Amino acid sequence: MQTVHIEFMVNGKEVALDVPAGATALQVIREMLGLKGSKEGCGIGECGACTVVVDGKAVNACLLLAAQLDGCRLLTVEGLADPAGLHPLQEKMIEHHAVQCGFCTPGVLMSSYALFAEKANPKREEIVAAVAGNLCRCTGYQQIITAIEAAVPGENR
Amino acid sequence: MNRDCTYHRPSTLAEAVDYLATKGGETTIIAGGTDVMVDLRAGKLERRNLLDVSRLDELRGIRLEGEKLVVGAAVTLAEIHRSPLLANHAPALQKCARNFASAQIRNKATIGGNVGHCSPCGDTIPPLVIHQAEMVCTGSSGQRRLPITEVATGAYRCQIARDEIITAFVLEPVGADFADFQKIGRRQALAISRMSMAAMLNQDQEGRITMLRLALGACTPTPCRLRLVEEFLLGKKPQPALLMQAGELLAEQMIAITGRRSSIIYKEPAVQGLFRRILSPVACHD
Ligand SMILES: Cc1cc2nc3c(=O)[nH]c(=O)nc-3n(C[C@H](O)[C@H](O)[C@H](O)COP(=O)(O)OP(=O)(O)OC[C@H]3O[C@@H](n4cnc5c(N)ncnc54)[C@H](O)[C@@H]3O)c2cc1C
Ligand code: FES
Ligand code: FES
Repeated sequence: MQTVHIEFMVNGKEVALDVPAGATALQVIREMLGLKGSKEGCGIGECGACTVVVDGKAVNACLLLAAQLDGCRLLTVEGLADPAGLHPLQEKMIEHHAVQCGFCTPGVLMSSYALFAEKANPKREEIVAAVAGNLCRCTGYQQIITAIEAAVPGENR
Repeated sequence: MNRDCTYHRPSTLAEAVDYLATKGGETTIIAGGTDVMVDLRAGKLERRNLLDVSRLDELRGIRLEGEKLVVGAAVTLAEIHRSPLLANHAPALQKCARNFASAQIRNKATIGGNVGHCSPCGDTIPPLVIHQAEMVCTGSSGQRRLPITEVATGAYRCQIARDEIITAFVLEPVGADFADFQKIGRRQALAISRMSMAAMLNQDQEGRITMLRLALGACTPTPCRLRLVEEFLLGKKPQPALLMQAGELLAEQMIAITGRRSSIIYKEPAVQGLFRRILSPVACHD
């Protein structure tokens, strides 16, 4: 089995790893880095449960080759909160009852985080488009969208 | 985990071409990976040396070069969606990125991968067809160009050799008063029902059509321009009755290409509906 040496940033910390050439980023994140927040739902790009942010953009970790993380900045759901407390997105998800089983939640958070990074004041329809690739089978999308809307940075200040 | 894969990321196009010259037969090019990774997981990837072309500078960027519009093969659908240059000079291509998969996939999926996958339902293909695009590839024996309509020789079969890399697409820039891309049908489930169309049109002050380009995707094994329909409508006002007639002509043209298969019971009215939907914003009601 060929391994590939990669160096990248995970939630602000530098890491160097030798990963199997055929491993997905999701396998490496969960199994080698022990970050179990990113979930595997479908494994084929359809559910968004594995969504992480790479160089500022939301991507499906199940469709990313781990070797392709080399030189990148990776943010997973574990990197959202800081010592001061939860990220506003997380706060609002709780406040608006947007979490039931929670399986989709990390992916929804990361898609929304990437949207906020790109656009300071996204409109509701932009939020809907940003999370269209995140399936939730229990909560229902209204609460999720409302929670994200409530967390829009412009609205908080 | 797939234990027998190898991974290689060349830093220049020349290095990538060299690699393929010796290992092309066992190699799969990977760009965004949104098709390749699905095949890898399903155990359907036969050539397991992965050659990552996603960061090659030679494959990046969208630019005007003289009379032509050049779109690098590793340009992502998200970049296509955001490009003001494409919004002006290839609006149907820009619009096809809007409803392409999800935001996460658009951030990775490339135009080169969409064409290289040779799926009859690649969304970028009908827009490339109406811009008379050529695919540029580079291999051990140099560079060549191929019209986009000749890339696929049938569903999932294509003209790109094992030692070749798609570097770019060269489009004829056309600014149109109206352009759109529409599709119906889901991606995997009911793949047979997938259908897509790109259109571009100009009208004079009375509403008569002075320029029209139409291409159909997914219905026919290889993409096609709908020239008979274009000619039929040219110089006329697109009134609802005329559009009905043009839709029938379109369905006939599609059947002439695919033959009368059982799916035609669905496809014939569906393609007519798709056609009327795409042109409804320009229909004349006087
Ligand atoms: C959930 C999901 C939804 C999708 N929705 C859509 C959709 O709405 N519309 C649509 O059209 N497609 C869709 N796709 C398919 C896929 O995302 C596209 O075909 C995409 O454009 C492929 O690009 P990529 O860079 O990810 O290709 P890759 O997976 O990296 O490669 C695809 C193929 O092209 C070859 N290739 C890639 N780059 C080159 C190159 N430069 N030179 C030569 N060969 C090359 C590869 O060897 C491979 O055979 C979807 C896929 C998924 C998983
Ligand atoms: S697990 Fe990646 S999209 Fe479903
Ligand atoms: S909360 Fe269960 S899937 Fe969304």
